[in-house]
Amino acid sequence: MTATDWLITAVRVLAPVLAIMLILPIPMWLERRGAGLIQDRPGPNRVGPFGLLQPLADAVKFFMKEDLIPANTDRLLFVIAPGIALFSALTTFAVIPYGPAVTVGGREIPLVGADVSIGILYLFALTSLSVYGIVLAGWSSNNKFSLIGGIRSGAQIISYELAMTTAAAGVILAAGSFRLTDVVAMQTGTWLGFIPRWNVFPQFLGFAVFYVATFAETNRLPFDLPEAEAELVGGYHTEYSAFKFAMFFMAEYVNMIVASALTVTLFFGGWSLPWYEPHGIGGVIVSALAFFAKTAFFVWVFIWVRWTLPRFRYDQLMRLGWKALLPVALLNLLWVAFLVVKRWLP
Amino acid sequence: MAALTATRLVFDAAATLAIVFASVMVIHRHPVKSVLALVVSFFALSIAYVLLSAPLIAAVQVIVYAGAILVLFLFVLMLLNVPEEARHGSGRPIHRILSAAAILVFAVFLLSLLRSHGATASPAVGASAGGGADVAAAARLLFSEHLLSFEALSVLLLAALVGAFALARPETQR
Repeated sequence: MTATDWLITAVRVLAPVLAIMLILPIPMWLERRGAGLIQDRPGPNRVGPFGLLQPLADAVKFFMKEDLIPANTDRLLFVIAPGIALFSALTTFAVIPYGPAVTVGGREIPLVGADVSIGILYLFALTSLSVYGIVLAGWSSNNKFSLIGGIRSGAQIISYELAMTTAAAGVILAAGSFRLTDVVAMQTGTWLGFIPRWNVFPQFLGFAVFYVATFAETNRLPFDLPEAEAELVGGYHTEYSAFKFAMFFMAEYVNMIVASALTVTLFFGGWSLPWYEPHGIGGVIVSALAFFAKTAFFVWVFIWVRWTLPRFRYDQLMRLGWKALLPVALLNLLWVAFLVVKRWLP
Repeated sequence: MAALTATRLVFDAAATLAIVFASVMVIHRHPVKSVLALVVSFFALSIAYVLLSAPLIAAVQVIVYAGAILVLFLFVLMLLNVPEEARHGSGRPIHRILSAAAILVFAVFLLSLLRSHGATASPAVGASAGGGADVAAAARLLFSEHLLSFEALSVLLLAALVGAFALARPETQR
């Protein structure tokens, strides 16, 4: 590998991570502003136009606050836990393709951090590690509410991971590959000239299960029982303050963005547009913008749902996961297998 | 060549990490910390698998062991609130020296055995399960040559599940 290769790889890997860190304040602002919209109140409106600088003010506040570590905590794990949460959230984006291959100076550069053959498995491996951040935060805080929040989160994530992976297995079966670039490639073009070849149409059940499960995986309402403020004070992050709390906060939004991007990649054609064949630099920009727009829509749905639905009870959550989502996901898998055997799907 | 040595360096680091944290897992007296050390060890192992061009096994290692089984271990330990183990046995130095010597001798035996026999394992299996179109190759092996053992394993797991359920069921319902 020459120095240029190293540079290209570094840019490929770092670009999405930096992009996420840069746009992270926008969903945070959108969350509060959207909450205002839905609850018929203004929302943040003092800092900058439309309160746009509110996330910046929050960040300054998080930096300035006293970073408190309570007595009788397990100091090492208490400090590591938010790091694990943010790390596993940020590294998941590495395998999600965000544009078509671009040719620069005779080199073809695929716009994806790492086009590994086990793309989807890598993603699920890292999301399954993210549970450690929350469980350890809950346990190391040495606080009843934190512990309950951490344990709830662990049980919830493991239960919904099952339905989520089974739903994603339908897409893997249809694509015949774990590689996310292959998954995007199979969704380009149209059926009958007007229906986009997106997986959401033949596998609507799979999409429904997957999308519901992402809400549980990201601990978002209506499944935010690990931090249910009415019962658990703040759940697993009750004892956290200042920047360590901000790291959990950031991890939640990064997880939202990653979950949305993954939904778009698996079921809505990723960066591809049904009637558009990308050419040259312009094509790359249009495709990347399409990917961004689709992802942004699903991030908005996350916020929309949060301020619309009430929280589930824990037994309802478990019943939904095991008795409703998992059987439906299996049914979807059978249906896709049928389609593939009949050769109605590529 | 430069990339090769870099790979070697990462592999050695991962292997060292795996061994060190496996030892921490054995030695540490706090059960929760032991489980966490095992998580780190498994993660390091999966890095080693990736460098041995077996990404599928690496992913399965993290998903199944680190992501599912050890989380359940952690659960049970946290729910039961298992305290730190007290040190058992006599504190006489001769016992410590002897046990350390036993570990050392065992390690030497193990290493020499691995050196003489380790490389004789057929490389074909590793290559077919790990290289190139790894997932398809592994799946083909699993559903043709090893189908029977694969199915037998799933029945075994089912039996364990049913057994656990039968044992854990409340007495009154029997």
